[in-house]
Amino acid sequence: MNADLEILQKSNKTELERRGSIFNIGAPAIEAVTIRNQIAVGFGDGTVRFFQSGFEPKTVKAHEGVVLSMANYADDVLTGGDDGRFLKISSDGNIEEIFNFGSKWVDCVATHKDTKVCSSGKTVYVWTKNRDKPQTLDHQSTVAGLAFDKKGKRLAVSRYGGVTVWKLNNNKWTSSNYTWKGSHGTVTFSPDTKYIVTAMQENQIHGWRINDKADLAMRGYPSKIKSFTWVGDTPYLVTSGSSDAVCWPFDGKEGPMGRKPIVVANGGKELATFVKALNGEKAVFTGYTDGSVLLAEIDESKKPIMIRSSTGAEVSTIAISSDNSQILIGDMKGSILLSSLWADN
Amino acid sequence: MENTSQVPVTVLTGFLGAGKTTLLNRILTEQHGRKYAVIVNEFGEQGIDNDLVVDADEEVFEMNNGCICCTVRGDLIRILSGLMKRADKLDAIIVETTGLADPAPVAQTFFVDQDVADRTKLDAIVTVADAVHLSSQLVDHHEAEEQIAFADVILLNKVELVEDNDIVKVNDRIRKINPFAKIIKTTRCDAPLDEIVGLNAFSLDRVLDIEPDFLESDHDHEHDDDVTSLSFVSDTPLDMDKFQDWFGNLLRTKGQDILRSKGILNFKGEEERYVFQGVHMLMDASPMGPWPKGKDRSSRVVFIGRDLDNMNLKEGFENCKSA
Repeated sequence: MNADLEILQKSNKTELERRGSIFNIGAPAIEAVTIRNQIAVGFGDGTVRFFQSGFEPKTVKAHEGVVLSMANYADDVLTGGDDGRFLKISSDGNIEEIFNFGSKWVDCVATHKDTKVCSSGKTVYVWTKNRDKPQTLDHQSTVAGLAFDKKGKRLAVSRYGGVTVWKLNNNKWTSSNYTWKGSHGTVTFSPDTKYIVTAMQENQIHGWRINDKADLAMRGYPSKIKSFTWVGDTPYLVTSGSSDAVCWPFDGKEGPMGRKPIVVANGGKELATFVKALNGEKAVFTGYTDGSVLLAEIDESKKPIMIRSSTGAEVSTIAISSDNSQILIGDMKGSILLSSLWADN
Repeated sequence: MENTSQVPVTVLTGFLGAGKTTLLNRILTEQHGRKYAVIVNEFGEQGIDNDLVVDADEEVFEMNNGCICCTVRGDLIRILSGLMKRADKLDAIIVETTGLADPAPVAQTFFVDQDVADRTKLDAIVTVADAVHLSSQLVDHHEAEEQIAFADVILLNKVELVEDNDIVKVNDRIRKINPFAKIIKTTRCDAPLDEIVGLNAFSLDRVLDIEPDFLESDHDHEHDDDVTSLSFVSDTPLDMDKFQDWFGNLLRTKGQDILRSKGILNFKGEEERYVFQGVHMLMDASPMGPWPKGKDRSSRVVFIGRDLDNMNLKEGFENCKSA
């Protein structure tokens, strides 16, 4: 590369890259969660780092290997690792071991208010308020995803062959099965809790209407869907896995049944790997295999804005601070961009 | 993703008692200066002292992709994806399968899951066979036959306990099932590790290593459900369209019975060699450079499977010859 080209590339920085900070951590960024105005990121070297605008990131050595899963828990963060530990970590570096599963990985973590949940193997462990010992929920195959509904009344557990939805009544858990052939990964409830949707091992997402278990098969993706996010009041379920952000409308009685998705934020030959809603707006951040990130309105006639230019490593996480002022973008090579979303900030 | 960043994965199969754990312990305790992760399934065997030993349950998932015999190891997809998130780079991953496991879902995982295929590569299927008991295991268990059929390398272990002429018999029995695997005779699995890990046996260009000597079609008919192999050679160039029609249809309809297929093809009008490597209904194929100067441009194909006699393979292959 010659010097002229380097200058040209520097001048090609996006507005957010110019005013933000870039950190090279050297380990893949796995997941990020927001705790007030800090953003906690779990990395492939077992660390959790707390990022905040104007401060050096605080590093907590949490797990031996990889931080596999994360969730926020009041002002703390819960993490599951491939060292078998389920931890509560505060931003001042305090680590509390909630449970140690030994040689088994802690694959998924979820929280709702005082309830802490994790999965290891085929079992989900639930700690409710004032209980030292967890309740256990068993499944036929390894748990691949966990999600609470908005009110925390139901817990969806994805696995091979579908989803088990658990309900807590009078301290007893009852379950209902939503079945679809194949292996189901990440799971989410729609904000109105009328639907559950999973990303499958096949290049498709699958949904069920909760009240009648009607199936929704959303196919046609060129790759596996690793990420989805609910956007706007409609709402749209925006997914990765294609060269665009694919936005399925979940309004009306039938949701996306028989309808076509809106596609925005075209990444050319790159595939979308991570999507994240901009709270309060009908807009989504979409990260791609080359590290670039676009911000697009859910409107095919509008042009997307380049937020982050290519780094050569796929975008693995995007988080936004709870006051909507800061954005954090992380990739599989461990490059982190922390920047203010608004120019006058 | 670049090939250089793919971590090689060695799959270790073999019946209980054949010596898999002895081999695993050797891999983990010998000074090899490399960083390995070992994915283990069977408990109750002697403990292995290494930080990167991962417990797994063999979870075989059916794919909902229209491929009727397509099953994958769901736990392997999860664990390999997790290992690929590590900050430190692994030199190799070794997957132990249970004694009675069918190796097909493991092999198919590397064809079917894009993330696994991008970041790891199936290096070789290594089967540890018990020289004393293999013959009876082959009679009693389909799985033993399958483990021999799928292997790229077979460690014929415990040879010190068997008379020389019996070793020849076992060797011949293995050859009848699998003509292209490399057979290494061992005592306490004492083969050099570089003949087991890091072989690149599944890479397409290794198809070119098929030894013509093994390709003499020598085929005694036994039971219909015995695993056998058939091979064909042609000096007449093949017609690409005819071959694709025949082979595609063959894998679609008979892929359940064809455990493995490999071949080097000389197509009419093409300067390059084409090679392919298949597991049941799934297959990888690509051009592999020009033919070596001064050597015969002959096409060679090998099938390992059950009921091969009823697939009209010879006729099908002959019909692919260009007019």
